[in-house]
Amino acid sequence: MRTEICELSAHEIVARLKAGDLTAESVLDATLARIEAVEGGTGTLEKAPNGQNGVHAYITLAEERALAQARAVDRALEAGDDPGPLAGVPVAIKDIFCVSGTRSTAGSKILENFVAPYTATSVARLEAAGALTIGKANLDEFTYGSSNESSAFLPTPRNPWSASVVPGGSSGGSAAAVAAGEAALSLGTDTSGSIRQPAAFCGVVGLKPTYGRVSRYGLIAFASSLDCPGPLARNVRDVALMLQVMAGADPFDATAAKVPVTDYLDGIEGGVQGMRIGLSPDFSRLSYPDAGTGELRELTLQSEIERALMDAAERLAGQGAEIVEGVELPNARYGIPAYFVISRVEAASNLHRYDGVKYGYRHAGEAADLIELYRKSRGHGFGPQPKLRILMGMYVSGDQYEKRYYERALRVRTLVRQDFERAFERVDAVLAPTTPTTAFEFGRIYGDSVAMQYADYLTVPANHAGIPALSVPVGLDNSGLPIGMQLMGPDFSERKLLRIGRALELAVEWQESRPPLVRELVDA
Amino acid sequence: MPEYEAVIGLETHIQLNTKSKIFCACSTDSWRAPPNTHICPICTGLPGVLPSLNRRVVEKALIMAAAMNVGEIAPESYLARKNYFYPDLPKGYQISQYDEPLAGNGSFEFPMPDGNLRRISIIKLHIEEDAGKTVYKNSKRLIDFNRCGVPLVEMVTGPDFRSAEEVGQFLIRLRQLLRWLEISDADMERGQLRCDANVSIRERGQQRLNTKTEIKNVNSIANVRDAVQSEIQRQVREVEAGRKIESWTLGWDDDRGALSKMRSKETEADYRYFREPDLLPIQTSSEDWAATVSQLPELPLARRSRFSADYGIPDYDAGVLTEERSLSEFFEAAVAAHGGDPKRVSNWVMNDVLRLIREQDTSAGELGLRPDELAEIIRLVERGTISNSVGKELLTQVQGSDRTPSQIVEEDGLAQVTDFGELSAAAAQILEANPDQVAAYRGGKSGLIGWFVGQMMQESGGQADPKSARKILEQLLEG
Repeated sequence: MRTEICELSAHEIVARLKAGDLTAESVLDATLARIEAVEGGTGTLEKAPNGQNGVHAYITLAEERALAQARAVDRALEAGDDPGPLAGVPVAIKDIFCVSGTRSTAGSKILENFVAPYTATSVARLEAAGALTIGKANLDEFTYGSSNESSAFLPTPRNPWSASVVPGGSSGGSAAAVAAGEAALSLGTDTSGSIRQPAAFCGVVGLKPTYGRVSRYGLIAFASSLDCPGPLARNVRDVALMLQVMAGADPFDATAAKVPVTDYLDGIEGGVQGMRIGLSPDFSRLSYPDAGTGELRELTLQSEIERALMDAAERLAGQGAEIVEGVELPNARYGIPAYFVISRVEAASNLHRYDGVKYGYRHAGEAADLIELYRKSRGHGFGPQPKLRILMGMYVSGDQYEKRYYERALRVRTLVRQDFERAFERVDAVLAPTTPTTAFEFGRIYGDSVAMQYADYLTVPANHAGIPALSVPVGLDNSGLPIGMQLMGPDFSERKLLRIGRALELAVEWQESRPPLVRELVDA
Repeated sequence: MPEYEAVIGLETHIQLNTKSKIFCACSTDSWRAPPNTHICPICTGLPGVLPSLNRRVVEKALIMAAAMNVGEIAPESYLARKNYFYPDLPKGYQISQYDEPLAGNGSFEFPMPDGNLRRISIIKLHIEEDAGKTVYKNSKRLIDFNRCGVPLVEMVTGPDFRSAEEVGQFLIRLRQLLRWLEISDADMERGQLRCDANVSIRERGQQRLNTKTEIKNVNSIANVRDAVQSEIQRQVREVEAGRKIESWTLGWDDDRGALSKMRSKETEADYRYFREPDLLPIQTSSEDWAATVSQLPELPLARRSRFSADYGIPDYDAGVLTEERSLSEFFEAAVAAHGGDPKRVSNWVMNDVLRLIREQDTSAGELGLRPDELAEIIRLVERGTISNSVGKELLTQVQGSDRTPSQIVEEDGLAQVTDFGELSAAAAQILEANPDQVAAYRGGKSGLIGWFVGQMMQESGGQADPKSARKILEQLLEG
């Protein structure tokens, strides 16, 4: 199989551009051709047939913006100027980031035509580095979901590895676009696993950086204390390259850390010799509430995932790492219930501004008074996921329940953080599966909010703790669906995680192969 | 009829006079600006924006806390979201403070007109953002976001006031203090100082707090006083008539000069406060706080006492001279430059300098007349170099001039004529020109001496020293 230009890594694109082998415009053309071949129509609010063949990774394509950027890169190259570290690299922006002059829908009808007058810091930094903003990727509505099925823009993205399974979420369009060669990189967000879970489901690499490592300015907020923008790419080096461009303090985000940014590529090929990598039983035995009784039941991982974990650990050990078993993270099991409360309180508050008065969707019919205008605009503008989050968030933050739910959830969060602090006294990183199962079928979980939330069981602890976590594809299950493993490390240990991740990527011999759905569509 | 006493607590909102808003770079000064011209994505709460705290707001609020006798500041305080829907609140929540405000446990002491001091407890003081403004026009609701994000301090007093008069005096002294500290322009008409009052009554001697009503939206100190007074009287009438006081919110109708019921408050609104995740805790080190306290200027009440004690001026003078900070500093600097009787300086400042300030609608600090220049003028008058009236004229001539008062006197020939020979010659001429009056004087009409002095003053263009002139004239007329 010949590698097409749209399948080149970001690194290769930049190198070949600088060597004069390629132009940014030709990279853009190749990528647009791939989109033409596999996308099968971007998401719309119209009642489109959901079974339409294609990846459907995008809501909006920004060909003109990308073309102008590509020409600017080519002019810079011609003039002998440095076109930037991401020169000519096509990037899909999750449609939760504001990009001046493009629609920013958050996957919701309530923002169907919202055009922001400003650009998110992370996007501005990517563009300043020479990246081509090729489009806005589909996502769960306001990022509320783990399958990308809740987007108001249909058809929702497909998993390039199988049209019948979800790409994961909420950065489902991002992961699908990268896996399908519709972009080399994608900017996603991770609030409880929304980068890592779709990355694992689609066989790409995804990094949730330390909270505050990448500015949130311009990211339409879900749960402000947990949201982390981060990269998705087809390999670890590209993730490092993209993080390098985005990381760092921002005067527009008080929570963006002032900790100096290190060189993430420096030593990335250094291997794992002498590193201590932990395995935790608390990430293999999972406590789920029984749907009928609410009692906690203990579940195990999908067997292929359990095997893949052991295999990954052995291969890292073979590279010289010391595997430390029995690292206890006992409060991880409370991660989902606590997250349920905290994220919904913040989400409900963050959604208050969408009232149909200032921008976005306003119900067109008559409204007797202001309250009715609010009610109708929000009633018709929001889909079921925002509504569920508003109801839950308002409930648990009410005066009479706040102590019982919200304050307890905050204490759990502190306990989860303390678990990790203790663990990192013993190990450099914890290795765990990214997801309890590989990608599930469309419609199998969607509709059961609790079950859907539990898809984030293994990813949410890192969000509570604020620590970085990197998901790397390690192989396929018996159905040919990708399996992802994540590495979690202390605050601001991205450099080390990327180095371990790179070693893992090499050790498991993961091939950046062309996923079956893409092969099928390209051949057709 | 039992004797009642009023129990009143105040919630004040003070606009801090920072240049930019609390969470963005927009200008705070939008008085009379067209609607929605001082706004940006941040203060209008567009999707994706984040607030960044303007540290000047915290600094000014800390100065305020120090002036309110707050003893200790928590090393960390938190901003919180107060969630409610209103069209002029673009985020659907106000960023405020809740369970851990910037400061608490303070007090404020102020003088009553009878000379007694009143002390009011300050329960808490926190910072927050202002909301926008809703205007009703042609049955439409128009929204102006210019005020969104203007920094406010909310300060809550204990239920310590016992009369409308106390409330009025408190607000007068609070306004004075805010301007003194240069942290707020405190103009009530512009909404820079706002006051809601909680009013209840009880029989004198009781301790419990009865149902209160809340008075909102009053835009002048006089109106707050009137509103509180009329609400106390209404409550007394209700109780006397055997009716219960209900927990109403009342608004002041400026045109009618009367209160009207805005709404009944059956239940407290639930604002679902939680800590603002977009902002870090506000940190105040003990060093910062100590520096704030130690850099606090002498406050009006203390300065007033010191002026009476140190300068031996009447308490009334001390009160007038400490109404405004730059005036008090002007006085003190003038006394030092003058070196003589402070009461004499006080007279000049209170009569002449204050008149200029009022006429020119300015302040002592921006008058263009320096305290040492005033002192020099006073000395010139005291020495008899110039007359009192020339001295007063000099005040305006010195304003904006680069010449000293002495230079002006010398160069413009304003000095009094005391030269004996010069005056004698002039007197002799007047006597010669007015033989009738001379005869009348010598015939016993000694009252005419005033007329002769007047002639001398006229001839000299006011520069003759009247005392010397009189002496010479008397000698010539009687000799």
